[in-house]
Amino acid sequence: MSYELNVAHLYGNLMNTYGDVGNILALNYYAKQMDVHLNVDIISLEEDFHAADYDLAFFGGGQDFEQTIVSQDIQTKKAELTKFIESGGPLLAICGGFQLLGHYYIGADGEKLPGIGALDHYTLAQDHNRFIGDIVIKNQETGETYHGFENHQGRTFLGAGERPLGNVVSGKGNNGEDGTEGAIYKNVYCSYFHGPILTRNGEIAKHLLVAALKRKFPEEDFSQQEALPIPATF
Amino acid sequence: MSLRSGFATFAGKSSYWFLHTFLHGGSSLPGKITLKLDPNILRTLGAKYDVIVITGTNGKTLTTALTVSVLHQKYPTILTNPTGSNMEQGIVTTFLNAKHPKTGRPLAVLEVDEANVIKVTQYIEPKAFVFTNIFRDQMDRYGEIYTTYQKILDGVALAPNATIIANGDSPIFHSKELPNPIEYYGFDDQPDQDLKAKPNTDGVLCPVCEHILHYHSLTYSNQGKYFCPNCGFERPELTYRLTKLGEQTPTSSEFEVDGHAFKIGVGGTYNIYNALAAYSVGRFMGVAPTQIARAFNGNQQVFGRQEVIDVDGKQVTIILVKNPVGLDQVLHMIGTDKEKFSLVGLLNANYADGIDTSWIWDGDFEQLTQRDIPAVITGGERYKDITFRLKVAGIPDDKHIVEPDLEKVVDEIKQVPTQRVYVLATYTAMLQMRKILATKGYIKEGLGV
Repeated sequence: MSYELNVAHLYGNLMNTYGDVGNILALNYYAKQMDVHLNVDIISLEEDFHAADYDLAFFGGGQDFEQTIVSQDIQTKKAELTKFIESGGPLLAICGGFQLLGHYYIGADGEKLPGIGALDHYTLAQDHNRFIGDIVIKNQETGETYHGFENHQGRTFLGAGERPLGNVVSGKGNNGEDGTEGAIYKNVYCSYFHGPILTRNGEIAKHLLVAALKRKFPEEDFSQQEALPIPATF
Repeated sequence: MSLRSGFATFAGKSSYWFLHTFLHGGSSLPGKITLKLDPNILRTLGAKYDVIVITGTNGKTLTTALTVSVLHQKYPTILTNPTGSNMEQGIVTTFLNAKHPKTGRPLAVLEVDEANVIKVTQYIEPKAFVFTNIFRDQMDRYGEIYTTYQKILDGVALAPNATIIANGDSPIFHSKELPNPIEYYGFDDQPDQDLKAKPNTDGVLCPVCEHILHYHSLTYSNQGKYFCPNCGFERPELTYRLTKLGEQTPTSSEFEVDGHAFKIGVGGTYNIYNALAAYSVGRFMGVAPTQIARAFNGNQQVFGRQEVIDVDGKQVTIILVKNPVGLDQVLHMIGTDKEKFSLVGLLNANYADGIDTSWIWDGDFEQLTQRDIPAVITGGERYKDITFRLKVAGIPDDKHIVEPDLEKVVDEIKQVPTQRVYVLATYTAMLQMRKILATKGYIKEGLGV
């Protein structure tokens, strides 16, 4: 049988730098192979996000200006997003999206801008420097190696209950200091990876889709979907 | 000319002569030498000219070339900089190489890199600026569209009397109050509707109230007759209006501006914007529409990027792609071809290409599936990225050849079932491909762009 999943693309018309929309394209690509149909909605400024309406969410990175605007608007979605996350909703957040799920970040002009604090990290700035370049990390639990391209000024520090998406093999990672990259909390995956992340690391797309299927259809058996082979693309 | 400037000019000119004569090259080194000896040299060199500065992300080169040919209809002597020499040293070299005109005040039409506008206006007050557009381009180098525009404005602030001739369809060019006189050009050929830009479009926030912009009509990306339903911010009154869009093919475009019919020997809506910019400068400088039409007709060679190369009977067109907006426009343009074609995508990620390949995911390759394309070849140093991009776009495996080695790509091109072949390539991939084609005798050595 075939399945349907409803996907919320958070601020997809504002937070969409560096090919991050490719993550939606990759989700679709792997979903098709799992016999899953995705209905993707963009949820943006002054639009409501209802946790109960969605099975999966994606939140990409944006330019400084757009991210400032989103930082204000997302406060109106804080309660429902937190509900979605706490109830095990699978969510992928990249770069600015990653930052805005945490407590706060420091903007381009040094101002402290709020996130929604659904995850326990915070983000500082660095002066006249960005972390730019290819990056490789390894997830200690799964043994999977992930490839990406990082390009960020923010330095993020993880909090209690979060574990990194991986440990830095080469590149800078969350902050250039502690060797962590990204974050995992419940079914939330965060990262600074562009590339985009799901096009180079199909395993993460599979984790997200399988988590969404199991959560929506708890009685069904998804061992076939879990066994989907992911050939290397990078 | 001061003694110092005089010596610096002499040193620069001598080095140009030396490089040109013995080393067959050197477009920025003479400028570099001259600048070292006299950092203020542009003031001396530029003082004799009326300068028009053309800047923006896409279309600088072609707009500059078209503007020069339009202005040639009225002005005999025009100095301009060669492709790629759009930073400070290249601009100094351009002035150094110029022959001194005996009479009158000559024009200089300069393509200037966005961040280098200030390096020109520190010394020269231009007569006019042309703003083509601002899109994301190799962001690992420049940053965001707002930062890029601010860099341009930092330069413009030193020349408050210069007229700005700007793309009125681009909201960012209407976002700041400026003391300069401003003329806008844009598309005005569609009835009003209520539209939004495609979801993955950059720069769609109202600069006044920060709501999402709507459009009465859209051309591409975030360009069109925009308006904000929240606060009433809208596209400014246009001085120069494209009033009708006629037939578009990959090698020709027909359109009317202010009711005057034009035809240019190149495809792509983005090139119509370039022509519209050149028209606007021409009108600003007093060139008549009939003269502009003559200039557009007579200058096929400025469209060199669409050169067709004969590879054992295949008609191969190599097109440079460097950012998502440009890529989408190229995909749209080749989609207007009435003939069947094969497609080659060559991706590198060296500094000149942009070291982050993520941008290919912002390009709408999915539109290719609307055409029956019998063969697709992907290659280049980052062939894996472009291969997976096209796989995700829906190119079936049985029509998709993966070949990293460009020499072998040429062999594969000879085997495709269509006569027509479009090669989309990033900058260094294009250079490598041209070198191979030159070695095999299909083209002469050189860039050809």
